[in-house]
Amino acid sequence: MPWSKIVKNYGKADGDRIRTFKEAIGEAVDQAMIKDPAVFAIGLDANDKFGVFGSMHNVTHKERVIGTPISENAMTGVALGAALSGMRPIYIHLRVDFMMLAMDQIVNYIAKWRYMFQGQVKVPIVIRAVIGRGWGSGAQHSDSLQGLFTHIPGLKVIMPSNPYDAKGLMLSAIEDDYPVIFIEHRWLYNNTCHVPEEPFTVPIGKGKIVREGRKLTLVATSIAVIDSLLACEPDLDVEIIDPRTLKPVDEELILESLKKTGRLLVVDYDFPVSGFASEVCSLAAEKAFHYLKTPVSKMTFPECHMPASGILEKRFYPDPSRIAARIKEIIADAA
Amino acid sequence: MQNVLTFGDVKISKDAALSLLEKMLDIRRLQEKIIQIYPTDVMVTPVHLHIGQEGVPVGVCAHLQATDTIFFGHRTHGPALAKGMDMKVLVAELYGRSTGCSKGYGGSMHLVDAANGMLGSSSIVGGNISLGVGSALASKLTNAGYISVSYFGDGATDSGVFWESLNFAALKQVPVLFVCEDNSLSNVMLKSEHMFLTTLIPVIKQFMTVFEADGTSALSVYEAAGRAVEYVRKEGKPAYLECKTKRWMKHQGVDKDDLPDNPIDPINDCPIQKLETLLLDAGIVVQRDLQELEDRVAGKIKAAIEFAEQSPFPGEDDLVREV
Repeated sequence: MPWSKIVKNYGKADGDRIRTFKEAIGEAVDQAMIKDPAVFAIGLDANDKFGVFGSMHNVTHKERVIGTPISENAMTGVALGAALSGMRPIYIHLRVDFMMLAMDQIVNYIAKWRYMFQGQVKVPIVIRAVIGRGWGSGAQHSDSLQGLFTHIPGLKVIMPSNPYDAKGLMLSAIEDDYPVIFIEHRWLYNNTCHVPEEPFTVPIGKGKIVREGRKLTLVATSIAVIDSLLACEPDLDVEIIDPRTLKPVDEELILESLKKTGRLLVVDYDFPVSGFASEVCSLAAEKAFHYLKTPVSKMTFPECHMPASGILEKRFYPDPSRIAARIKEIIADAA
Repeated sequence: MQNVLTFGDVKISKDAALSLLEKMLDIRRLQEKIIQIYPTDVMVTPVHLHIGQEGVPVGVCAHLQATDTIFFGHRTHGPALAKGMDMKVLVAELYGRSTGCSKGYGGSMHLVDAANGMLGSSSIVGGNISLGVGSALASKLTNAGYISVSYFGDGATDSGVFWESLNFAALKQVPVLFVCEDNSLSNVMLKSEHMFLTTLIPVIKQFMTVFEADGTSALSVYEAAGRAVEYVRKEGKPAYLECKTKRWMKHQGVDKDDLPDNPIDPINDCPIQKLETLLLDAGIVVQRDLQELEDRVAGKIKAAIEFAEQSPFPGEDDLVREV
């Protein structure tokens, strides 16, 4: 069962301490727990030997990893109550679809607590949601749903694409005094790159140019960054931006790139309507309209749920060859 | 003059009894003032008044310290004042002013006072119960020593989050006191319409120790809550306190409840009258003492309303702040 598979290794190259995505997340959680006794992890099967796809193996303070009953809504409220009382919980959902059971607490409480009480109480919660696909998982266990969370004021949303960013962003998220949704694609878990041993942070809200180019700005999230990198090989003149944080998104980085390229494609593995891809297109239309040479474009899931049968599944997901084809269509007019 | 009031097995000092009475009067007279001025729309926020139910929050909170936390729902005024919120910042919040406890961003249902253990209240029935369990978990994980109170009505016991919270609190043995202020109503539904069982107590006893009180009597609540709080604090375990009471007002708004099956006896269902009668009969106070108390409460309410009226509204430019 390919719950996790290596697609492409990339990331920060200046070092040889090669670690997987899951090790990087585990290291961040472990270092945060060692540094601050207020940090604890909680969630269904958070403490079982499976270790959340291996990302919770080798945690020093196992007494602060709390497995829960199948009670996502109340358990998220428990995490909030603990956070309000000075703790820094990391809530773990093995699948993002389980997180839907906690939407009452996430949307009605966690997202609103800072605003309703004007920052008089802190809400330092990280909610980890594992997403994924494949092996006939079907409609429920294949969801991504980042667009749902970016819609809600008061939630920061992070989607790292490589181990270096995963560690740095996880440490930033845990240090943040307000709620952060941390979405991990499980196909990334065995991907590797250099990850420094010492704790470090990657700032929330800062994107990264992962490939420079002149003819098109391609904004891709999470595992779509890797599919986009593959799509551009060997010689498409495309600039790929990994926003890393979907909310607040690094507008400046995207707009600067659009000024240069005048063309936008967003690749975001989520539903098409009212999602992150639409939001980036909206940003371009509102703030970079006069630089655009072609209509904005997005590649997302089709407007349907994930099928189980392999042949339909293959058709459902964008892939490097289809991304490359779309890029060529858009830049066809560019000499 | 007597200085100790005897109520069943409980002996309560004059000062403590008068403190219960004053807190109940703070709540009652403020609610009555709200009824009086609400039609003028100086308070633009939905209110859920606490008239008739004052004995429950006052009897429970008499045993709590400022560091103990409490998580209550939409019916906020009673527990907030009982737990120690300054009436001025409560009224200013109802007036939507920047001096309100939530700086005018919360309204009647969303009150906060971290210094007094109120870490935010919610208008959605049930969810607050789990926050109390989480706060108790934090106390246990850090050996902080405080206890937490999840405060709710019987309507909330229909929710899944109630049962999830009960299970987890018992499973992890965290120091939380579940307080059910049971007015036998879920909005306009009688208990028989919203709950299959007539009582949950035999079920809840399988999870944790249960204490029961007559919620229309502040002393009954004071007595039972005293035992319950001591149990949770000393044993570090969860407990459940059910207080049967009566809702005099409609679920929301400033009108008296008119459900035919919710008759109110203004004497026997009134925690204030009951305590006053006991104090007078025992010779602990005379009418003049009660009048002095009323005058003091009236003074606090007058000062709170003046404070609110003179306070500025939040700045319009501060709309998008602390998001």
